[in-house]
Amino acid sequence: MSAAATQEKSSGSKINLGAFFIEARALVALAIIIVIFASMSDTYLSVGNLVTVAKDVAFNAIIALGMLMVILHSGIDLSVGSTVGLTGAVAGTLFQGLHLPLTDAVMYPSIWVIVVIAVAVGMLVGWVNGLLIARLNLAPFIVTLGMLYVGRGLTQVLLDGTNITNELRGQEELGNTGFFEVFASSPLGVPISAWVMVAVAIAFSIILTRTPFGRWLYAIGSNERAAALSGVPVNQVKTRVYVLTGLCAGIVGMLQIANIRSSTADLGEFYELNAIAAVVIGGAALSGGRGTVRGTIIGAFVIGFLTNGLVIVGVSPFWQTVITGAVIILAVAVDQIQQILQRRQAQARAVAEARRESGKVPVGPGGHEGPPPEQT
Amino acid sequence: MSAAVSGSPATGQPTHHEATGSDGVVLRAVDISKTYGATRALKGVNFDVSAGKVTVLFGENGAGKSTLMKILSGVEQPTAGYLELDGERVEFSSTTDAVDKGIAIIHQELNLNANLKVSDNIFLGREIASVRGIHYAEQALATRDLMKRLEEPISPDAFVRDLRVGQQQIVEIARALSTDARILIMDEPTSALSSAEVQVLFKIIRELQRQGVAIVYISHHLEEALEIADHAVVFRDGELVATERASAIDLGWVVRTMVGREADYDFREEAREHGDVVLSIQDVTVADTVSGKFPVDHVSLDVKEGEIVCLFGLMGAGRTELMEALSGRDELAGGRVLLTDHDLAGLNVADRIDLGMGLVPEDRQRDGIIQMQSVGKNMSLASLSSWVRRGFMAVRGENRDIKSQMTRLGVKAEGPEAPITALSGGNAQKVVIGKMLAAQPRVLLLDDPTRGVDVGAKGEIFSLLFSRAGEGLAVLFVTSDVGEALNASHRIVVMDRGQVVTEFDPRHATREEVMAAAEGSGGQPAASTTAEEEGGPR
Amino acid sequence: MKLKSMAAIATTAIVSVSLTSCGDAGGEGEGGGEIAIITVDPANPYWAAEVSRAEELAEELGYEYSVGAHENDPDEQTRLMETAINNDVDGILLDPAGADESIAIVEQAVDADIPVSLVNAEISETGLAEAQFISDNAQGAAAGAEVWAEAMGYEGTYVELIGEPSDNNAPVRSEGYESVLSQYPDMEKVGEEIANWDRQEGQTAMEQLLSRNPDIDGVISGNDEMALGAVNALDEAGRLDEVEVLGFDGSNDAAEAVADGKLVASVLQPIDEATTQSLEVLDEVIRTGESSVEEEKVALDCILITEENAEDLQDFVLED
Repeated sequence: MSAAATQEKSSGSKINLGAFFIEARALVALAIIIVIFASMSDTYLSVGNLVTVAKDVAFNAIIALGMLMVILHSGIDLSVGSTVGLTGAVAGTLFQGLHLPLTDAVMYPSIWVIVVIAVAVGMLVGWVNGLLIARLNLAPFIVTLGMLYVGRGLTQVLLDGTNITNELRGQEELGNTGFFEVFASSPLGVPISAWVMVAVAIAFSIILTRTPFGRWLYAIGSNERAAALSGVPVNQVKTRVYVLTGLCAGIVGMLQIANIRSSTADLGEFYELNAIAAVVIGGAALSGGRGTVRGTIIGAFVIGFLTNGLVIVGVSPFWQTVITGAVIILAVAVDQIQQILQRRQAQARAVAEARRESGKVPVGPGGHEGPPPEQT
Repeated sequence: MSAAVSGSPATGQPTHHEATGSDGVVLRAVDISKTYGATRALKGVNFDVSAGKVTVLFGENGAGKSTLMKILSGVEQPTAGYLELDGERVEFSSTTDAVDKGIAIIHQELNLNANLKVSDNIFLGREIASVRGIHYAEQALATRDLMKRLEEPISPDAFVRDLRVGQQQIVEIARALSTDARILIMDEPTSALSSAEVQVLFKIIRELQRQGVAIVYISHHLEEALEIADHAVVFRDGELVATERASAIDLGWVVRTMVGREADYDFREEAREHGDVVLSIQDVTVADTVSGKFPVDHVSLDVKEGEIVCLFGLMGAGRTELMEALSGRDELAGGRVLLTDHDLAGLNVADRIDLGMGLVPEDRQRDGIIQMQSVGKNMSLASLSSWVRRGFMAVRGENRDIKSQMTRLGVKAEGPEAPITALSGGNAQKVVIGKMLAAQPRVLLLDDPTRGVDVGAKGEIFSLLFSRAGEGLAVLFVTSDVGEALNASHRIVVMDRGQVVTEFDPRHATREEVMAAAEGSGGQPAASTTAEEEGGPR
Repeated sequence: MKLKSMAAIATTAIVSVSLTSCGDAGGEGEGGGEIAIITVDPANPYWAAEVSRAEELAEELGYEYSVGAHENDPDEQTRLMETAINNDVDGILLDPAGADESIAIVEQAVDADIPVSLVNAEISETGLAEAQFISDNAQGAAAGAEVWAEAMGYEGTYVELIGEPSDNNAPVRSEGYESVLSQYPDMEKVGEEIANWDRQEGQTAMEQLLSRNPDIDGVISGNDEMALGAVNALDEAGRLDEVEVLGFDGSNDAAEAVADGKLVASVLQPIDEATTQSLEVLDEVIRTGESSVEEEKVALDCILITEENAEDLQDFVLED
């Protein structure tokens, strides 16, 4: 029996080691990518290029953090890309000035008012998503797919076939200048989007680990019925999660129109897919209940360093797309393997326990002595 | 290592192994174990099936019978152990694999495609076809023959969705017969059949038996099963506990063996000082919107402070429906529920937990635990607000409290960080109970709290409940285990077909009385104390 | 030098064409009725200009009209065309989605006796549509490349931003650039990226290209949006003054960038002109039953937008 126990132990630790590597796979993948490209190009790890990577990763990572929240509850939000475009268009429209009804007056809000209104529109979109999903029990995929079209359409309505570019600069006499000076700045040489990413990551990390809301979110994603029976306000949590996603999209909308110095109708297209990829590469389960802020950030950096590296070493543009897609599939495949391993591990543990317990009863191996049947 | 099942030493019968060793054991399960997460549904079971014999499996819910049948028919694979077919080791990767090797199963749950025709269902996956496509006419003909054999005039072209449940069951049986199986497994085949249909089925079973088909039969209808049995096998808590020849046993033996030893806990003599009524269930009715029936039909019941009330009833008596309605998950169709003087109408689960009433649900995997989270996070889920300081969780304080709670409940785990799925059924159940207790309830509802729980842990769970009752907690728990009802409650309320039929004082009641009341078999319990005082049969 | 004169000739040629066609309007026969305007994507300023010109002119000529957008999706185009055919409109002004993909549906309309006139892009069969007024992208690209090469001093390294590969204009423009630049051995292309006509993608691609080749001297881009993204990236890297950027399309933002000296030049497709002429032919056919145009396919020359005329450009229309 002691021999069996040690055997169990050693095989158990082997599984643990394997599981560790898979758990840390995103980090391993990141390291591999960096080493490979750094060996192929001197400029890859130059400060300039790292700043470039950080800026691009930040946009995707902020969206991905919002996406993480919905994926944790086993939902999905396909509308974030459109929401980025919409909030950008709202801000652009406000920079053009608001025609007050019944008068000839045009109001020019200051930039902070504009930013708050635009981001609030993003949160409103999320709130509508959340209400439809939580209260009417509609499938997140369908609701947010619909919202993807609604948001993109509204963006086009607002922009009406033109880009809003010059107005974003603002005019001294209107008192709405300074947008680029804040939202396209680089404090301490690091792009503002990277700072915002860090701030959002810290905030979401605290929300997920240090508040009941975070605990509830994980619980709902893992087992909604059990969570509901434990008194978790499921609908409220779900609704708020989509508001958070909308908030992230709104923030990126502001940063991105400052980055490209224009509000365009196509802004944000396919952002949702890059964000989902980052979340999944970061180890989250699309079925919900599993995923971390840290993993998601790493996932975004994996994509960022990969796409950047492919450009830097001069891989043909068509092949870049193929390789990026393959890496995402690989990540999902590893995700599945991880779950299979974990299940096996749990079973092995249970069987080991069974052996240990049945070992206490002094019976011969394989024999199962039933208790005497007669009793009254 | 012997693969034999030991017989009963007390009766001196020869072991099953010796009895069937020579006369055609066709299928043999060797040392089979099956775990779901940390739940051990089967623990090293050895089991033989003989040609031309009907082997009947007895056991309570969750004893492991259905799990074993799923393994024998290829629906699931064992975690440990293996199967031998005709003395050779085999593995069934799927049900089709098993069917190819001559094993067919009639499932407990109906596994038919409602939107296909009867004949299409019967030949699903084994269509009679050539390169020119499926030969529907041949399939219809074969179906008609099967139906003739089953003496049931069901058209091959009828859609399954249009059939009665009983007729659907016949289609299931026809499907199994159509495979010409050498081994036929029937898991509760008669649950939806009329008695005439049951007699036809038995006739067919005898006929198959004569053709040398091995039959494995599971039924909760003990008498009916004994009528058809050659061998009886009894399961309890995932283990095979006894094997007997049907001629040597009677109903009493089956019941005693199924239930097992007397529980090694007994709280009957515990002090009972009950306070005021905390939970008052008044004339409660619950409707099933699908079937239009009333699983709970005008039930009234009071639970007092410090009192442990056992709601005893068989499956389908309406106990779970009542508990879920009380928890706030389902709505009442009538009546009202008072927690002290507070009417709970319109309050959701969270509100009720806040007010001091929580439910430990029946299905622990589905409704009880958060599989992906640790023991500690499971335990604190219902009471997170008590650790919130200025909007944030005081994680260290939470951890400390959870640790001490785990010690108090006797949860055997490596610590709060251990995954909940690593825990055995009993320990996981303690965590679920601990979760509700952490919310400081005044009334705790438990639906079958010892389901899938090891014998030792059962006593610990009840001991925990009694100690909390001593502090004033009111407990209402559901069980179909008479031993539990008698040994671990202050009062037994018996439910049958949605209604409260009678009450017992466990100090003066016998097993037989309680069982008889729950089965609605008419015999009025002698020791009935407050029978039909409220909500009696109408 | 020779290039500049060529552009001047092109400009005058178009002006004269437009003058004659204007003179034609308002002949005999009956005007009025309904036409369907089927375009690519009015959310894009370029096609917005096409649509607004078509709407304006249709109204002027006394037509009811409906506007549909197929976003370069042949399926969607088929749906829109079928709807128009079923509504039995009097004529269709189509900006087709694909040269080969659009033949069948145009034929279907013609079979239903509904005249179709094409604008902006062509189909690879003649004899179906009444007219095909397209802008000569290859010529435009070559003209743009010529001024840009001059600004570069006919030497140095450069990178190229390419539009959506599935869009025919991406390779046509790229090859147009190549046809000129291959003549100058001292100009070396050191990288190319696909940026899908998008400003933000162009900016990202440029940032990455700059990491790899910090010392490039020039950028050519398949359209203005990507070029403006590149301008942002160069500006941020502090290299805008030293790098020459070429755009294509002549959007408002690009015109301004050209005027500010951020872009060397852009290339304007005469969409306003093409729309006008195509719709006038359609009008003529509806009124008289036949068109007076001799050549079905007319390739209108593109107009070079440089510092000299950039300020006169507004919404893809060059004011005189």
